[in-house]
Amino acid sequence: MTEIKKEIEITGNERPRIGVYICHCGINIGGVVSVPDLMEYAKTLPNVEIAQEYKFFCSDVGQKMIKEDIEAGKVNRVVVAACSPRMHEPTFRIACKEAGLNQFLFEMANIREHSTWVHMKEPEGAYETAKDHIRMAIAKARELVPLEVQKVKVEPSCLIIGGGIAGMNAALDLATQGYKVYLVEKTPTIGGHMAQLDKTFPTMDCSSCILTPKMSEVSREKNIELLTYSEVVEVTGYIGNFEVTILKKPHYVDQEKCTACGICIDTCPVTVGNEFEIGLGTRKAIYVPFPQAVPGQYTIDMDNCIKCGICARTDVCEPEAINFDDEPEYLKVKVGTIIVATGWDLYDPTPLKQYGYGKYPNVITGLQMERLLSSFGPVIGKPVRPSDLKEPHSIAFLQCVGSRNFREGGNQYCSRVCCMYATKQARQYKEKHPEADVYIFYMDIRAFGKGYEEFYESAGRNYGINYIRGRIAEVSEDEDHNIVIRAEDTLMQQPLELKVDLFVLSAGLEPRADADTITSLLRIQRSADGFFLEAHPKLRPVDTLTEGIFIAGVAQGPKDIPDAVAQAKGAASSAAGLMAKGEVEIEPFFAVVRPERCIGCGMCVENCAYGAIELVDDKRFGTVAKINEALCKGCGACSGNCRCSAIDIKGFTGTQIYSIITDRM
Amino acid sequence: MSEDYKWRYGLFLGCVIPNRYPMIEASIRSVFDHLDAELLDLPGASCCPAPGVFRAFHIPTWLVIAARNITIAEELGVSPITGCNGCYGTLRDAWYELEHEFELKKEVNEYLAKVGRTYKGNLEPKHIVQALYLDMGLDYLKDFIKLKFSDLKVGVHYGCHIVKPSDKRPWQGEYEEPRFLDEIVELTGAKSIDYKEKYMCCGAGGAVRTAVKEVAADFTREKLVNMREAGVDIIINCCPFCHLQLDLGQMEVNNFYGDVIGEPFHIPVIYITQLLGVAFGMDPNLLGLIKNHELTGVSPFIPIDPFLNMVKEQLVEGR
Repeated sequence: MTEIKKEIEITGNERPRIGVYICHCGINIGGVVSVPDLMEYAKTLPNVEIAQEYKFFCSDVGQKMIKEDIEAGKVNRVVVAACSPRMHEPTFRIACKEAGLNQFLFEMANIREHSTWVHMKEPEGAYETAKDHIRMAIAKARELVPLEVQKVKVEPSCLIIGGGIAGMNAALDLATQGYKVYLVEKTPTIGGHMAQLDKTFPTMDCSSCILTPKMSEVSREKNIELLTYSEVVEVTGYIGNFEVTILKKPHYVDQEKCTACGICIDTCPVTVGNEFEIGLGTRKAIYVPFPQAVPGQYTIDMDNCIKCGICARTDVCEPEAINFDDEPEYLKVKVGTIIVATGWDLYDPTPLKQYGYGKYPNVITGLQMERLLSSFGPVIGKPVRPSDLKEPHSIAFLQCVGSRNFREGGNQYCSRVCCMYATKQARQYKEKHPEADVYIFYMDIRAFGKGYEEFYESAGRNYGINYIRGRIAEVSEDEDHNIVIRAEDTLMQQPLELKVDLFVLSAGLEPRADADTITSLLRIQRSADGFFLEAHPKLRPVDTLTEGIFIAGVAQGPKDIPDAVAQAKGAASSAAGLMAKGEVEIEPFFAVVRPERCIGCGMCVENCAYGAIELVDDKRFGTVAKINEALCKGCGACSGNCRCSAIDIKGFTGTQIYSIITDRM
Repeated sequence: MSEDYKWRYGLFLGCVIPNRYPMIEASIRSVFDHLDAELLDLPGASCCPAPGVFRAFHIPTWLVIAARNITIAEELGVSPITGCNGCYGTLRDAWYELEHEFELKKEVNEYLAKVGRTYKGNLEPKHIVQALYLDMGLDYLKDFIKLKFSDLKVGVHYGCHIVKPSDKRPWQGEYEEPRFLDEIVELTGAKSIDYKEKYMCCGAGGAVRTAVKEVAADFTREKLVNMREAGVDIIINCCPFCHLQLDLGQMEVNNFYGDVIGEPFHIPVIYITQLLGVAFGMDPNLLGLIKNHELTGVSPFIPIDPFLNMVKEQLVEGR
């Protein structure tokens, strides 16, 4: 490790001597604009002491060039014109630091993403914008002052949002390492979508059999505080020190007294659709989601309860556990890290009218088929078709419903699980009904995981499932509610018409409908497909751009169970890493008040979304604003609105910003 | 050019309307004027050119000619509007490509420069149904309805280019089983009857009619059989080429497939603005509904008298 030399003394008073380092980035920049010309241009700008060009400044050799100039005392400010600071700002900051220069005396001009990439086809324009970016970075560099990084403590506890297979795995991993975990699940039970599945591909092991032991493990684990039927309503603070408010929704059933005898369910007069069975089964207004639910708590669904009071009668509920006056509770916890594992919603195929979902009774989704196949589902694992409850003799599956659709009303991405789940369901049906005709209409079969290709091969070869390459154009219904399919077999180059008893739409996965709530609660981003955005698609797949917050499972993008579990373990490991270290460096970009200018009007106090400002009495200047550096996010709302220009954001001071604007004009 | 109209468009006629069905033009002009929309002429407009024919052979030629037609409307500062699905297909697809492909626009403008024109862009080509449904809206149209049919069963035919390709059309996801034309039809009190294969092609498009008339007629036969089964009184459409195929094509179906269809077909084919016009209480002469009986060998080929009788009987009674 390079030993950090004594910092070069920068008082802020000496004349800035700026070194400008312009990177070719291979041909990414150098192939579009002339880097030597940019270098010559930079040399003409005030305070520029040195301008250099190199193929890759991020390389060791490139960094060394910068370091040598600093060490030789030639420069006291560094500007690198290259890629996005998201890529290499840390690299160059460390290089400056290692050479003895305060790392905040460095500024980056992004002439790749902001210039040569976007204006690839217009080199002259790209050259002009590159010049602008370099000039602006130099302008800011002139005004840079040394700053010190802040260190904050990391609480050894983690909030996990979502109790599906991803959230549960992350929770168990962290809990066994000794960290406190708050596992928040909005439904009355953990288990997530995996609890709805019958068998899992490609091993054909029963989903419940591998899931329920995990569920009990979660409920047994002492370090996990299981908060089901709860929602996160507020998150404040920052990495290492998040303050979380959790709403515990009322169950209206006293869990201490309830013996789970089930008589209330038998007597409840209100029957509604069971979410767990996706319209294929019913439940009562007082219910347990499914038999193996954890915790097995009874809940009254107040949206549907008619408050008849039958369940509360002492001859029905002997222990008098029913409590109609149950109130929501708010719980405040402090955590160091957060993992988002909120999962997915199934794509609703209703808008694809040509497939008749919602119009013809015998058109169902893959998840409904899963419930039909489930041994504890509405038909105890013996699928029937909805119109006449008869066993189907022929079934057709259609792949990519709502996925890989570049037209309106669909998602462009591949949902990654449908090829395999359709194959699995088809195989399950053929195992019990070898005489049935089963068709799978597909675009391509994506059998990419371990053991998947073998599973798919065997489905066609050993089980006689007919794979037909071609999209279904439209379906109609005959008088017996059979589904008439019109499609093209693109391999045979023949149009075909086919009548089947049951038509299953292999609908894809979508971001949660309420993903926006999470986005604004946690101030994390979503990618174009609507799933939560990872900090880097390859190298930081479980991190978000908000420090201390991680993502796991389908919340980040469609995944099968093994991948969701792997990512959950990755997220847990990253969170544990932060907590194990116990402290973290944060950038010193917070607001500072110049009390001599402040008149104590309090405008900033109102404007601060983080409650980071208060008015205090100063001996010399009277009432002035004071910033709580730990709470300040450096957003600049106070600074922009301060009529006395008394507040600056470190690293983005008024002088620095004006200097950029002036040079740009 | 007057400023007091609520909407202004440049009427792009295309080929089939002026050559085969001038009554469609008459009804569009009368109805739009009645709805406070001015239709400006586009001097020097050529063939759109036909998407199934020109585009299939040489895309650049198709694109440059289409762009030239759009520039005529640009000079007047209005959106081109057409009553023909084919013209709509060409103008809108070309417009969409030119709006999204910077390089293509540059190339097209190099050709247009030779005839002293420049494609600027931004003015979205529209279909008259789009103007009625999206620009004016059903609520606006409703106020003009004076008379309503009491018992008119309509087989609505959309045609193809008006809804597809979906990403270049304005119907916001309504492209597989659209309802917009049915909704306009039902403003008049008529009932849009659901029939089998409602969204099927008329048979003429893509130069099929020109190349293999029997195949085109076979499509038309299937549509007509399905319509008759559902019990439609008239066919409503929004494309002169579909109109031609469903009108003249009926005679061809009766000829070619007389032995399989049983009773010959005589279903009146009416253009959407003709239907709207009568419900607005407009003079049928203005809507091109009255044909001089001395004329033979000109459209409409299937007499529309049954429709006119319903207009007389139902509209009078219906109010």
